[in-house]
Amino acid sequence: MRSSIKDDFMDDTIAFSKNHEEPLWFQKMREEALNHATELQLPIFEKISYRGWRLDHPKAPFAEANTDNSFDLPETNNLLVQNGDQTLVNKLDPKLSEQGVIFTDIWTALKDYPELVQKYFLATALKPAENKLVALNLALMNGGAFLYVPKNVKVDQSIQSIYLQDNSQQKDYVHHVLVVADQGSEVTYLENFLSQGDQADNIANIVVEVVAAANSRVHFSALDQFGQHVSTYINRHGYVGDNARLDWAIGLMNDSQVVGDFGTDLRGEGGHSEAKVVAITTGEQVSGIDTKITNYGQHTIGHILQHGVILQSSSLTFNGVGHIVKGARGSDAQQESRVLMLSRTARGDANPILLIDENDVTAGHAASVGRVNEEQMYYLMSRGIDQETAQRLVIRGFLSSVITEIPEKEVRVRLTDMIERKLINGQQK
Amino acid sequence: MSTLEVKDLHVSVVEEDETKGQEILKGVNLKMSTGEIHAIMGPNGTGKSTLSQAIMGNSAYKVTQGDVLLDGKSILDMPVDERARAGLFLAMQYPAEIAGVTNIEFMRAAINARRDENDQIPVMEFMKKLDEKQGILDMTDEMSERYLNEGFSGGEKKRNEILQLLMIEPKFAILDEIDSGLDIDALKVVSRGVNSMRGDNFGSLIITHYQRLLNYIIPDQVHVMMDGRIVKSGGPELAKKLEDEGYAGLRDDLGLDVKLTDEI
Ligand SMILES: Nc1ncnc2c1ncn2[C@@H]1O[C@H](COP(=O)(O)OP(=O)(O)O)[C@@H](O)[C@H]1O
Ligand SMILES: [Mg+2]
Repeated sequence: MRSSIKDDFMDDTIAFSKNHEEPLWFQKMREEALNHATELQLPIFEKISYRGWRLDHPKAPFAEANTDNSFDLPETNNLLVQNGDQTLVNKLDPKLSEQGVIFTDIWTALKDYPELVQKYFLATALKPAENKLVALNLALMNGGAFLYVPKNVKVDQSIQSIYLQDNSQQKDYVHHVLVVADQGSEVTYLENFLSQGDQADNIANIVVEVVAAANSRVHFSALDQFGQHVSTYINRHGYVGDNARLDWAIGLMNDSQVVGDFGTDLRGEGGHSEAKVVAITTGEQVSGIDTKITNYGQHTIGHILQHGVILQSSSLTFNGVGHIVKGARGSDAQQESRVLMLSRTARGDANPILLIDENDVTAGHAASVGRVNEEQMYYLMSRGIDQETAQRLVIRGFLSSVITEIPEKEVRVRLTDMIERKLINGQQK
Repeated sequence: MSTLEVKDLHVSVVEEDETKGQEILKGVNLKMSTGEIHAIMGPNGTGKSTLSQAIMGNSAYKVTQGDVLLDGKSILDMPVDERARAGLFLAMQYPAEIAGVTNIEFMRAAINARRDENDQIPVMEFMKKLDEKQGILDMTDEMSERYLNEGFSGGEKKRNEILQLLMIEPKFAILDEIDSGLDIDALKVVSRGVNSMRGDNFGSLIITHYQRLLNYIIPDQVHVMMDGRIVKSGGPELAKKLEDEGYAGLRDDLGLDVKLTDEI
């Protein structure tokens, strides 16, 4: 008989949980998730087939992390750097900790603030039974972070994290981030996932939950840089309360194959979310991105903007879903998805999906799959700029509507540099 | 001294779904040297823009016969960017807009494209030059910091083309209807910019529909183009004569059988 995930990993899961001194309720949550994982379905991504990536077949989630790390230290007072369950840097401006801001690895949070974690962890934005990969994320979680901003605290400096994925050995990367902005608070958070080494074929399973409670404002940026030999599932999901605002700026600069599931639930009245996604794909890379905003509350606003550039023989699919449920009167759902293909072997798709179950609303969509604008190329080249540089400029222009949305200059510069590097790699024949 | 020579140039426009295009230029001959300003005048639809695009190397225009020579060497096999680096510049009638790329970074990229990778223009030197050239054109930093031509008015676009000209300092500049849509003040400013380039190392081919511009940029030679050919050449007085008699008058003088699109 074939062994099941449950049989394979239950003992290790319990041992890992005990080893990390997790509270019993959390250990039980893990066990429960593992027990039920087999019954749950893989998430469905329209027009993307990723079953063959075997994201639901982890091999070694609890291997020891390799300690050989390299990363650029960003200039910020508030930083968390993690490699799996190891925390390499963790600092927070004392002014913020005095105000009650919490920014730690997940185990410290479970130990020091168990009630807070229990209140929100897979309880508000997502549930463990969401799908098989979310359940496995809980059961096999081997790294994670917690950011909490108390009521009415307005954080005016950036909070950043670097999450290193160890790809120097066989080790599944199962990471969970929980961001909670309590009522009336404000915070700007940036996370950067970064692969280290390129020796192994690993699975990365990332779940990020963001709770924007009533009247809060959250600006969430992400720069994802998974390496070539990783199969990646990234789920970022937001809960938006009454009159709260949650804005996303997500830069997918991976070399890995990736399915991204970016969802936002506008639960409260008057909630607002702007989701901006940029992606560049190269080589043989396959990427499928679902960005979905659901208007549950009345007078909610959900806007999606996705721009992607596809080089070489890679493929990129953007699904944009705007869903207004019955009763969400006076709501607005807009989306725009555009992809540019730079080679004949590149494949791109942009699918706008509007699901409108209420009459008194506004909604719209635009989508396009195209090639680099020849008129712009000609203009740049007529000034002596060579074809490849001109192409990069046109692409940078194409992606700028997303880049300019990122509030911190430093992050914009980093993303622009990443784009430049990824494009130069992708332009090599 | 450099020379630019157009020899018996025949050009067709290539439509997407056609194999054989329609012939627009039917044997154009023109020779100019740096230090000279030539003007090309002609009625609408006669092929003036086609000539400028063919010289620059726009792939929508196909050279079917003849040659374009820079310093005696054919440039027809060179791609657009190489022609530009060889010393050609085209101020376009309809410049492209590129959101997300600022004028400043675009101009720096253009200047650096002409320099060695290890000798890129220092920021201070660039900004100083930019300041000086903006001054000539009554332009502000604000405009240079905006995205390339995006949301520019017609007049601002023309000014921006001339700013690029002054920054890049090519050997030969073709200015395609740089005067269209400009009021008299803007026309003076743009002319001041072009005149500041005048000298032994610069030549310009000024394409215009109207004589007015040539009051401010006095040409050495004037050529009149009709139906894809240069039908008459002369000094600045030719432009004045055209102003008085109109294109139809000149056509009838020359006994040409050409339909002018502007004619009712
Ligand atoms: N890209 C093009 N595609 C199709 N026809 C063109 C194109 N460019 C020019 N033409 C045609 O060529 C002729 C000459 O145009 P043009 O060179 O723009 O004239 P001018 O600049 O003298 O007004 C016109 O009949 C015009 O319609
Ligand atoms: Mg024209």
